[in-house]
Amino acid sequence: METVTLREPAYRKIRAYAFDPSLSLQIDTVEINEMEYTLPWEKLDPGPIGSYLEVIDYDPTLDLYYKPVDLDQPYILVENGIRPSESNPQFHQQMVYAVAMTTIKNFEKALGRKIIWSTRLLEDKNKYEEYVPKLRLYPHAFRDSNAYYSPHKKAILFGYFKSRSTHSEIQMPNALVFTCLSHDIIAHEITHAILDGLYRHYNEPTNPDVLAFHEAFADIVALFQHFTFPEVLKHQISKTRGNLENQNLLGQLAQEFGSAIGGYGSLRDAIGSVNPETKKWEPKTPNPIDYKKNVEPHSRGSVLVAAVFESFLTIYKKRVADLLRIATNGTGVLPEGELHPDLVNRMAKEASKAAKHVLNMCIRALDYCPPVDITFGDYLRAIVTADVDLVRNDDHEYRLAFIDSFRKRGIYPVGIKTLSVDSLKQKELNIFAKYENENDSNYKEFNSDVLIKNDQTKQYLSILNKFLKEYGDKIKYVTNREEIYHITSDYIGGNYENPESLVKGLYTRWAMKIEEPGTEELSTLTGLALNSHYHELGVRKADGPYNFPSFNIQNLRLISRVGPDGNLLNQVVFSIFQKSGVIIKNGKFADHFIPDDGPLPENGFILLGGCTLIFDLDSNCLRYSISKPILNIEEMEANHRFIVNSKRVEEQFQYQFDEGLEDRSNFNKYFGIDLSNNFNEPFAMLHNH
Amino acid sequence: MYRAGTGDCFILKFYAGKTKKFTMMIDGGVWKGSKTYLAHFVQNIKETTGGIIDLLVITHEHLDHVLMFERCEHIFKDFIIEELWFGWTENDSDKKVKEWKKKYGDRKIALKMVADKLNNLIVNKNIENSLKGNFNAKEMYNARVNFSEIISGFSELHISEGDNENIYKGALKGMHVIKNKLNIKKIKFLNQGEIVKNIKNLPGIKFYILGPPDLYDQVNKESGKEGETYNHNKDLDEHELFSLSVQRDQSERLKEILLPFERSFIDNNKTAQSIYEDPIKVWRKIDYEWLFSAGNLSLRMNSLTNNLSLAFAIEFEESKKVMLFPGDAEIGSWESWHKIKWPEKGANNKHLTEDLLNRTVFYKVAHHLSHNGTAQSLGMELMEHTELTAMATIDYSNISNGWKNTMPNKALLKELLKRTKGRLIIQNEDNIYYDLNDKIKLSSKIKDAKESMNSDELTSFTKNLAIPKPKLISYQKGNENVTEEKILYFEYTVSGE
Repeated sequence: METVTLREPAYRKIRAYAFDPSLSLQIDTVEINEMEYTLPWEKLDPGPIGSYLEVIDYDPTLDLYYKPVDLDQPYILVENGIRPSESNPQFHQQMVYAVAMTTIKNFEKALGRKIIWSTRLLEDKNKYEEYVPKLRLYPHAFRDSNAYYSPHKKAILFGYFKSRSTHSEIQMPNALVFTCLSHDIIAHEITHAILDGLYRHYNEPTNPDVLAFHEAFADIVALFQHFTFPEVLKHQISKTRGNLENQNLLGQLAQEFGSAIGGYGSLRDAIGSVNPETKKWEPKTPNPIDYKKNVEPHSRGSVLVAAVFESFLTIYKKRVADLLRIATNGTGVLPEGELHPDLVNRMAKEASKAAKHVLNMCIRALDYCPPVDITFGDYLRAIVTADVDLVRNDDHEYRLAFIDSFRKRGIYPVGIKTLSVDSLKQKELNIFAKYENENDSNYKEFNSDVLIKNDQTKQYLSILNKFLKEYGDKIKYVTNREEIYHITSDYIGGNYENPESLVKGLYTRWAMKIEEPGTEELSTLTGLALNSHYHELGVRKADGPYNFPSFNIQNLRLISRVGPDGNLLNQVVFSIFQKSGVIIKNGKFADHFIPDDGPLPENGFILLGGCTLIFDLDSNCLRYSISKPILNIEEMEANHRFIVNSKRVEEQFQYQFDEGLEDRSNFNKYFGIDLSNNFNEPFAMLHNH
Repeated sequence: MYRAGTGDCFILKFYAGKTKKFTMMIDGGVWKGSKTYLAHFVQNIKETTGGIIDLLVITHEHLDHVLMFERCEHIFKDFIIEELWFGWTENDSDKKVKEWKKKYGDRKIALKMVADKLNNLIVNKNIENSLKGNFNAKEMYNARVNFSEIISGFSELHISEGDNENIYKGALKGMHVIKNKLNIKKIKFLNQGEIVKNIKNLPGIKFYILGPPDLYDQVNKESGKEGETYNHNKDLDEHELFSLSVQRDQSERLKEILLPFERSFIDNNKTAQSIYEDPIKVWRKIDYEWLFSAGNLSLRMNSLTNNLSLAFAIEFEESKKVMLFPGDAEIGSWESWHKIKWPEKGANNKHLTEDLLNRTVFYKVAHHLSHNGTAQSLGMELMEHTELTAMATIDYSNISNGWKNTMPNKALLKELLKRTKGRLIIQNEDNIYYDLNDKIKLSSKIKDAKESMNSDELTSFTKNLAIPKPKLISYQKGNENVTEEKILYFEYTVSGE
């Protein structure tokens, strides 16, 4: 007799709203509002509780638990989950799980690695941090028109409230509204959580772009996730008459997605609006001063959303140009009547494909961003760099589409003289590793004209490259997230309990190097005070007997991606951070102090510097260094003077202690919530009215 | 302008030549003050008016506009008040007002209860313990303490001490005293758009009633900005669920109205409890976060009440000069003024409201110099009279905690200083700074602004502003006896010619 081994299924399908419940009440959208989310299979405990997420339906406003849904229960399983229903909290639990997992999967696909939640920082400085396996979702956490990600609880709290909606035609007056039933809200908040796991410091509004970026990025993910569902698009496209090239359809759709529960979390008004005279939706004309004049996080964020959306439209238009020619016999005018369903299918597919590509580009770019103090310009450079690295042949001209729509809104990276793919792409350093054995096939001579001239330093970077390669090999096939986390921590901090498997971590390797003479070039490379002059730069001495500056290393990760031509990209990335205490007088840099020695001195604040280093494992080289420097690099190179980058200091001070404070919401002003003292709940406060 | 502390109390004396014809009082409030402290001010009012007020106007029901009546009922009860004016929203016999006040009263109780609850959680260290072990635990704790202090402040602003649980009477005690305990001959409730003229002993003076708005929809609008919020009507209904659970009686069976779902969905087995209450994961619990929704509730209530302010313009018919007393009206109210259907047009065919603002020579700054208090394009920028003088009732030695964060608003100050050329009279300039980093004193900024007056303007401003000698006053503050020298009021003469 043959034995049949049962394999785990690859997918689990779960029913949920494509938008939110309000659209199920409108006859023309009801059919598209319910869809099946396809998720990777995993065993789920009642909650649902899986390996990434735990849904805990405790309602503190009543001190009650609602019965948790068991998605593995056979009756529920065969039905693809519970039928969508506002009045059943078990469906709420199911929906937050489905949308959150979909978002996580989209990120993992684009990034080419597993998502790890940001660690919990501890009061106990010796332990420093702890691993958080599961993000917690509370579907009914409070009674207010808000939902937020709490970085310190590693949880998303969803609110519910009674609404006398302005859309009385689609909502019952005084009906309950649950934020956990909106695709957009869930996707938005989970993106905040994922981004926090990648870049903890993006919660710190060091310049007006940082929080705006967090908001805009979350909105972009929510928006393009919608567009990846072809069913939704098909329905809308089939309704169109006349000119299909009319991009307004998608723009209007994007905005409608966001306005379902009253526009929560949506920054999409910048895309366009309905003209009160013609009653038709019209895209908003971009203006080069859009970026400059909008400082408040939401309006500023909306500029970025609009820029990315326009890039998407340009790409889509290009992709469907041939279809339109075929359908209209080259006239561009469609015949009267309903569109051919094949055409609708093809158009929807193209739109969905373009959306997937744009979403991937936006997510991939994260690995090429500076680890602190991000600006929209940095993000544009990251998008371009990431794309050039993976997609050598840009025959659809995606990159130009991005550059053009950013330019139209006045978003320019600092220090770029012209706008082109070449100038925007981060400068390739290509510092190749030199191995002991010159016959090694990987051996390449150093480029002599690059930053690094000192032999010691070259040697060091080679060793480092080897070490990172080792890390890459070790981590490549590990799929358990906790294991990934622990291996990575060991490679950063060292694993001294088990000296056989590892001797020195990345941190110690850097630290020991700084003491060696001639390695100042590490400072040139990173913009950080990784040299003996650190005392003069407001940088603390590291704890321990050695004389080197304090710094820390985070975000060590392997990037392994497959490009459209089947080409492989294997890179290891990590970021170095350093704090410098600066004192300001009359808006100008005046002096330094040593951070973390008691309370802040008068007029003192901490400048955070950071640098992301990207090593290419296939060509054995250090490819990019993306830095937000502490040092004034120009002075260091030209005159060998080690002074602080006073331009960054002054800009940050100006924003954090003046402009940014003026621009806070009324709520934050009343409750004395400023940029640094925000409850440690930056998103809760940002979302308050 | 009396100087008891942040809050409004004005006496207006109208003269014909040298003869005083008419005495008017607008509000009698201050953020804090004991009976013995406030008695000095009220006694002074009695002396200067002879205990006869021709017209008393109460703009709205906030502590900083009515506290003196609560504390000094014993002095006020001997006053003769010929006429009392309220906005239509104080007309308790109106059915709609009554209904609304009931709803509003419920929110007030909720606010008070949540303030007390937060306070208890802090005193009993529940909040502190819930943050234990976190990096930055101390900062997080301090931010929460600060937050709940501000909630308490808002609660006090709306609700008298001792007014909890069952003894809630609807109004602040000061308001109750005004309505029920004073010797008032006539009460009038005014509506937006009314023009009151031919007042006895007050010829040549017209009152234009600007606010409160006629519709609750407008009252509801606080500030215009749309952020990441729901685009629905911001009204009190939105806080109903929150209020209900704050006011829930823990000893009773859960009432149907409190539940968002059918009772059958409650998990009496508490399946998730072992995870939620896992002792090593206490840091992930969310037992108290929901209480902080009180922030939105308190701000909304504050704005609502402010927008109910009886706002009015006083016009000298001959010279067309205007004095503007907006109470604490916020943006929603200001906007509605421009939609009033006046029986007449203003000069150059302008809307009368715009014209009135153009002609304003004296402005009582709304809501203590806050950002929401004075509309920009619909208010400040229309006040273009060259003689414009402004008085602002702000005093940092006696003010609610949260207010210091929003008052004064820098942009508003800048505009006011420019438009008044420094004729900005602050209740108490001490310790108020112009910038956010406490570097530039407001007083020096005002001094600088005065440079732009020409010598005639400066002479007449100096002549019109009378500052009496400080008075030695003794009073009780908590358990202490305090004696200090205090200038009780500033007096400013506005020429109607």
